[in-house]
Amino acid sequence: MTTTGSNRLDNASRPRDSDRSVRVHLTLFDRSKFLLLFAIVFFVLVWAAMADNPLLSFSDAAQQISSQRWWIFLLVAVEVVRQVHFALSELLSPYHGIWVRYFAFVDRLIHRLSDWTRYRISRVIKAAIFVALLAVVLGAVYKETPVKALFLAPKALWSALPMLGQLAFAVVFIVIQFVAMFWFLSRGGIDTYFPDDIRTRFSDVWGQDHVLDRIRENLLFLEDPASIEEHGGYVPGGLLLWGPPGTGKTLMAESMAGESGKPFVFVDPGAFTNMFFGVGVMKVKSLFRKLRKLALRYGGVVVFFDEADSLGNRGIATTGGSRSATHAGSRSIFDSTCHGGNYLSQSAGELLVRESFVANSAAGMGGGGMGTLQALLTELSGLKKPRGFFNRIVRRTLGLRPKNPPKYRILVVMATNMPEALDEALLRPGRIDRMYRVGYPSKAGRIRTYEGYLAKVSHSLTPEEIEKLATITPYATGATIKDTINEALIMAIRNGRTTITWTDVIKAKQLKDLGPAEDVEYIERERHAVAVHEACHGVMAYLQRQHMAIDLATIEKGSDYLGMVASIPPDDQFTHWRTEYEADILVSLASLAGERYFFDGDNSSGVSGDLESATTIASFMEGHWGMGSTVSSHASNRRFEVGAPGGGKPRDAKDGSAELRRALADRIEDNLSKLLVKAEEILAENRLKVLALAHALETHKTISGEDVTAVMTGGVGPLVDGRPYGDSANLLEIEKYHVAALTAHKSHQRPDVQIPVFHVK
Amino acid sequence: MRFGFRRSLPATSLAVALVLVLSGCGSQSQIYATDKPDGVYFSVPKGWLKVTQSVLSERESQSTATGAAERLANVRWQEAYAPKPVSAAQIFSLTSSEIPTVYVRVRSLLPDEVNSFSLNSERDIFVPLTTWLNGTSTAITALHLNLMDDSDSIQPAARGVHDTFSFTGNDGVSQTFNQTSLLSADHSTLYVLLIRAQSDYYSSHAGQLEKIVQSFTVRGAQ
Repeated sequence: MTTTGSNRLDNASRPRDSDRSVRVHLTLFDRSKFLLLFAIVFFVLVWAAMADNPLLSFSDAAQQISSQRWWIFLLVAVEVVRQVHFALSELLSPYHGIWVRYFAFVDRLIHRLSDWTRYRISRVIKAAIFVALLAVVLGAVYKETPVKALFLAPKALWSALPMLGQLAFAVVFIVIQFVAMFWFLSRGGIDTYFPDDIRTRFSDVWGQDHVLDRIRENLLFLEDPASIEEHGGYVPGGLLLWGPPGTGKTLMAESMAGESGKPFVFVDPGAFTNMFFGVGVMKVKSLFRKLRKLALRYGGVVVFFDEADSLGNRGIATTGGSRSATHAGSRSIFDSTCHGGNYLSQSAGELLVRESFVANSAAGMGGGGMGTLQALLTELSGLKKPRGFFNRIVRRTLGLRPKNPPKYRILVVMATNMPEALDEALLRPGRIDRMYRVGYPSKAGRIRTYEGYLAKVSHSLTPEEIEKLATITPYATGATIKDTINEALIMAIRNGRTTITWTDVIKAKQLKDLGPAEDVEYIERERHAVAVHEACHGVMAYLQRQHMAIDLATIEKGSDYLGMVASIPPDDQFTHWRTEYEADILVSLASLAGERYFFDGDNSSGVSGDLESATTIASFMEGHWGMGSTVSSHASNRRFEVGAPGGGKPRDAKDGSAELRRALADRIEDNLSKLLVKAEEILAENRLKVLALAHALETHKTISGEDVTAVMTGGVGPLVDGRPYGDSANLLEIEKYHVAALTAHKSHQRPDVQIPVFHVK
Repeated sequence: MRFGFRRSLPATSLAVALVLVLSGCGSQSQIYATDKPDGVYFSVPKGWLKVTQSVLSERESQSTATGAAERLANVRWQEAYAPKPVSAAQIFSLTSSEIPTVYVRVRSLLPDEVNSFSLNSERDIFVPLTTWLNGTSTAITALHLNLMDDSDSIQPAARGVHDTFSFTGNDGVSQTFNQTSLLSADHSTLYVLLIRAQSDYYSSHAGQLEKIVQSFTVRGAQ
C-alpha cells in the first residue's frame, strides 16, 4: 500500500506543455467569463437607457442598445470564435499542433530582434495604444472625432492650467508644511566653535600625555596637511577616544577645540535621537553639509561626537580580525593583560569576535536608529563623490564631466566609554583611522593631576604626601581626583579652615570610597564578632597578600557592609599571578576560618560575600586562567559545548552537563577546602595578633593600613600605638575579654568583662 | 477533462443565446422622440414619419407677424410626426388635412410673456379657443365648436391645461385638436403638444392618438 502510494507520488508531476498533444481544458468560468461580462455590460447599458427615457420598454431599450452598441456583439463574436478555437484545440490534436508550431515560428521571428530593440518597440506600441485610448476618451468628451479631439486637448489643458495651478499649490502647501516641520526638527544638537572661543588647552589635561601626543599629531596634520599629502599620504580623518568614564576624553576634546586653529563642531549625544523617521538622516546630512562648508572656508574642521555609543550599531560584526579586537564584543579575551588576541591569525581572530558577540549578546540596535547610523557611515566615507546640482546635472547636460570635489579636511573625533556598542563599520580605516584608549592615569599622571587640582586651592600637603595619595588611589581618574580635592576643601571649610590638610584628603577619600558611615552602635558581643571577622581579614592580608597594601580597616557600619578591610595595589601592576590569587582567596576565606576558629565552630552569615569572592576567583583560576589542575579554558569549552575537562562523562550519566558541572565544581571546592584549612592554620598560629587587631578596631572603629602594621609589629601608627600589643599581660587581658565575649555570644548576654584599655607607659 | 468540456459547452451556448435573445431580435415597437436637455419625451406609432425642421420652422420664419421671429429664435426643441409626409400648412393652418399630425415644441418664453402668460394663453396657443368659447367671436356658430375636455395637466416639472375640442373650418370638414400646454415651475419654458386630425379619423383612431398624449412626459432639465 505504501509502495503504491509512493509510486503514485513519484509519478504525480504535471506534464509539461510540450508533452501535451491537446490544449488543457478550460474551466466553466474561464470559458464563459468574457461572455458573462459582455452580457452584464449589455444589461447595464439597457438599464441606463431605460433610466434615461421613461417611455422605453425593456424590449425597445434592448433593441435600441443592440443597434447603437453593435460593438458588444462584435466582441461577443470574437470571444465565441476564440472559445471555438480553444475547444478545437482541446479536442483535436492535429489542430492544436498547427497552432503550437505557428506560435513557435512567431516567437522565433520576434526573438531575432535584440532585447533592447524589442523593448523599444514594445514601448512605442504601448505609447501608441495610450494615445489612441486618450483620443477615444477625449473624442467622447468633446463629441468630436478622436483625432480632432486630440488637437483640442492642448487648448483644454491651457484653460485648465489655473485649476491645475491651484492643485499644485495645494500639494506644495502640504509638502511645505512637512518640509518646514522636519527642518525645524532637524535643528539643534550641533554647536560650532571658532578658534579662541574655547580657552581649554592641552596643558589643562593631566595624566594622559601619551594620548595627547597622538592627538597633537593629528591636529598638526590638520593644520599643515601639505606635510603629509606632498608625500603621498593623507590626513587621518577619524579618531576614537575610548576608556572608562572620567578619564578626560571630553576634556581632551575641549582642549583640541582650544588648541586647534580650525573650527570645532560639537555634536551632542542626543542630537540623532528623534521622533520621526528621516529626521536623523536629515540631521546627519545637514551636519556634513556644514562641515564641508567650514572645511572649505577654513581649510579644515574638527567634529567631535561625544558619547558616540549613542549612535548605536546595526547588530553583529560584519568584519573583524585582530584589529577590531581592540574593542567591541571581544573585550573579555582581548582585554587580558597579555593581549592574547594579537597572537592569533586573522581568521581565528574573526571567529573569536563573532563567537564573542553571540556569547555576550553584544549585538543589538540603539542610538538614533532608522537609518541615521547608515547615513553617518555614508557621509564619513562618501566625501569624494561629485556634489551639487550644477556640478552633476548641468555640467553633464552640457557634455562636461562633473568636477571632483575638493579635499574636505574633516577630522572626526569620537569619544565613548562603551566601545563595544559602536558599529563595526564605523571603526574601519577611512572612517576612524586611529583608536586611542584613554585609560586610568598612571601614577605619574595621578601625581600631576593631584598637583594640578591642589594648585587651585590652599593646601599643606608635601610632595611626599601627594605621591602617597597617588599611590593609595590607583584607579583615580581626573574626575574622581577633582571630586576628592573638592570634598576635602568642603571638610576644611566646615572645620573653619581654608587650607586643606592631609587628614582632610584622607577623610574625603574614605568618604568617597566607603560612603558616609551610618553611625550605628553595635552591642558589645556583636561589635567583638565584627572586629574579629575584620581582624582575620586584616591579619591574613598583612601576612599573605604582598601585592596589595592595606589601605584601611573599619568596623563602622556602612550602607551595605558591617565592616571592611580595604587594600590597594602599591604599584601599577598589569599582570596577576597564581600565588596572588591564592592570597586573595586566603584573605576572603579568613573570615569563615576565623569565625569558626574563634567562635567554637560557629560562623555568621556575614561571610557570604567573602565566599562568593573566593569561589569566583577559584572558578576563574580553575576554568579560565590555567591555575588549576587542567589546561583548557572552560569559557571556550562551554561555548562549543565540548564538555568541561577533567571530570569525564560516565556512560550511565543521564544528565551529562550536570555531571560535567559537578566535576568542575568539585575541583573548585577541593581547592577552596585546601585553602580554608591553610587559612585556619595561619590564623591559629597568629591567634593573639588577630585578637590584638580586633581590640584596636573595637577601640578606634576605623584605622589605617599603617595602624594595622603598628599593631602587627608593635610599632606606632598615626592613630594606634601598637606597643601595648607586645606586652604578654595585655594580650592575656585581651584573651580574657574574648573568652567573655564568646560566652556572651553563646548565651546572648552582655559580656561580664569590659574591653581592656591600655595606656602607654 | 472531457466531462468539463461537455459541461462548459452548453453553458457557453446558453450565455451566447441569452445575450442574443435579450438583445431583442427585431425592431422597436414605437418611435421615441426625446429632448434630453429639457427632459421631454413622447412616442408615436412605429412607421410614422418625422417632419423635417425646415418644414416646422417655415411658417414662422416667413411670417411678418409681431414676435414670430423672436418666438422661433427661442424654440429649444420641436418635432413633428405624421403617417405620411406633410407640409407646414397641414400642421399649422386651420385648413383640415386627411393626414393626422403630432407636433411638440419646447420654447423659452419671451421676457414680456413671462409675467403675462396665463392658462388662457396656454389654451389659445394654436387657436383663439377662449374667444371662441366666451362667445365674443361671431364665428362660434359657424365653427360648430365642441369642447370635449378642458382639464388640468400636471407633470413632474410643469403644469398647465389639456384641451380636446372639435370644430368645423371654412372647408366644412370637422377636425379635432388635442392639445396640452404646460408651463415650467419658474414660468420660463413652455411645453406644447398638439395632435390634430379630421374628426372621423380621430374617432376611429382615438386609442392610438390618446396613447401619444399619455406618452407626453415633461421631466424638466435634470
